[in-house]
Amino acid sequence: MNPGEAVRFPKVRPRALFASRPVLTFLIVVAVWIGASFVKPGFGAFGHLRYLVELGAVVGLAAIGQTFVVIAGGIDLSVGAIITVSAVGAPLVALAFDESGAFAALITLAAATVIGVLNGLGVAFLRAHPMIMTLAMATFLQGLLILLAGGSAISAQSPLLEWLGSARPGGVPAGVLVWAIASVLSLLALHATPFGARVFALGANSLAATLSGVNVPATTVAVYAISGLTAGMTGLLLLGMNGQGYVGIGDPYLLSSIAAVVLGGTSILGGSGTYAGSIPGAVLLVTITGLITVVNASPGWRSILFGSLILALLLISGREARRR
Amino acid sequence: MNAIESASLRLYWPAQRQRNRGAGGLLIVVAAFLALYAYLFPGLLSVGGVAKFAQSWLPLAMVSMAQAILMLAGGVSLAIGAMVSLGAVIAATTMAGPLGVAGGAALVMIAGLGVGAACGVIVVRLGLPAIVVTLAASFIVGGAALLILPRPGGTIPAWLSDLLAGDKPVAAWLVIAVVVFWKLYLATPLGLSLYAAGENPDAAYRAGVPVDAARILAYAVSGLLATCAGLFVAAKTGSGDPVIGEAFTLNSIAAAVLGGVGFLGGKGAMRGALAGSLLLSVMINVMYFLGFPPVAHYIAQGLIIIGAVALPEFSARRRAL
Repeated sequence: MNPGEAVRFPKVRPRALFASRPVLTFLIVVAVWIGASFVKPGFGAFGHLRYLVELGAVVGLAAIGQTFVVIAGGIDLSVGAIITVSAVGAPLVALAFDESGAFAALITLAAATVIGVLNGLGVAFLRAHPMIMTLAMATFLQGLLILLAGGSAISAQSPLLEWLGSARPGGVPAGVLVWAIASVLSLLALHATPFGARVFALGANSLAATLSGVNVPATTVAVYAISGLTAGMTGLLLLGMNGQGYVGIGDPYLLSSIAAVVLGGTSILGGSGTYAGSIPGAVLLVTITGLITVVNASPGWRSILFGSLILALLLISGREARRR
Repeated sequence: MNAIESASLRLYWPAQRQRNRGAGGLLIVVAAFLALYAYLFPGLLSVGGVAKFAQSWLPLAMVSMAQAILMLAGGVSLAIGAMVSLGAVIAATTMAGPLGVAGGAALVMIAGLGVGAACGVIVVRLGLPAIVVTLAASFIVGGAALLILPRPGGTIPAWLSDLLAGDKPVAAWLVIAVVVFWKLYLATPLGLSLYAAGENPDAAYRAGVPVDAARILAYAVSGLLATCAGLFVAAKTGSGDPVIGEAFTLNSIAAAVLGGVGFLGGKGAMRGALAGSLLLSVMINVMYFLGFPPVAHYIAQGLIIIGAVALPEFSARRRAL
């Protein structure tokens, strides 16, 4: 065996596999599911687990864009607002000739992408810190939403949204199908394209990336655009599953998307990570939320449990290497 | 001894100048807005006017300081709003009870210091990212506030509300008192370490600065300021509300960033954050006065924050050309 071959095909080491964060997070999910089905008999039923994955699709879609942005060294705090905008905005752009609802969905996704592009332009050219830029965008969108919706819930009926929310081609919920396709595409983009390599380079060291010829502004705009697009998709999926959009519908998904990314082993400091970890991270989060609902606690306790469990999970798996 | 003193003086003024960089433009904008406000509302230039204005500014000033301390120490908090709510509900549920005003105030302070220090220990000692820890903490603290007071209610003794939010400019004196306390804090060893620990923790550690202790203390002081802001908000409204603090998270970050405090630690000064909070506060007052609908506040606030962040960048680029 020549040395070149050994480099191309490193030996599979089981220990290294267990140390890998995506695998670790996946194992935690399996452990929680097994544990929960012993405690609560109905939990392990196929229908319930499928429902959990369906909910996971919502968080997982939002986490796609967040993963790109975080790996590129930023953070997107406008995810929740963009989700709300698309869930409330999609019914408003429904036109008479557009019977399937596809046109409205396209307009909504385009608008969400434009919001993401604006975030990216602000970060890249105004040099606004990502947290400020996206928080300001979220504030701005909040005002816009009240103008658009006037505070009331808006229900939507279109065949496309209905399909997204309730169809089960081959027993798989449509939302999970969309999530799976989007996951494969984003994993390919992140790990098998020059663009993905540039995203990692940007997050690891933006100055070095610039000097190496990476078009930093274009890459920055692209990652925020992806975040806007996936947040828009999340909004449409939520609208389909819920039947109506209202102001605040997207708020819980901000923390969830960031937590899914961090639980999946992506460094919040940027430069390392993978979407493969965010997938079990998202499922883990909705599992926790599901378990909390089972406990039937008051809103205060639910909120405390949610925050504490995320903190506890982070302590188990999400620690950054100490930098000293 | 003399040599050391002259050396420290030689270092002191350049450091102060660096902290003041970019604050000049902000002060001009603040002065312009204040002048506009005084022109629209001449009553501002009286004792009562100052009292009312200070009452609307004080909570924002305190949360901005709470955020700026953390940013100077190289952290950030997304739990400020929840901490304000916690302070408000603790004050509203305890002060009219057997504990009295003093006991209630002590509880508010202990809760702030304790929760803040807990966040600090998790971030600093356990090495978790501050954004995620404080985001999770905002859920925990917000949940605790909901448990203490599930719906708006509770009472603050009327005399306390009159004292803090009456016709006398007590709030203005409190602003000054908070600034004095900040100066005293900076003069303590751990306060002195704050900038060093934020700017370059590695170098500070090797120079013998107690980095971890300074950063944990910063989190504790930040929590204290946030819950005390909650106490004041409760006194102003006369009752507690478990979600009253929510808007303060964004506003505190906005004020600190408007004031030139950087996200990476050690950059900027508290006077900048105070000026930033003053600008936001005057702006909100002017918009109310001109009869803007609440929706416009969100939109204007988003635009002004981005504009304030972008302007220095543009002027720096023009200078570079």
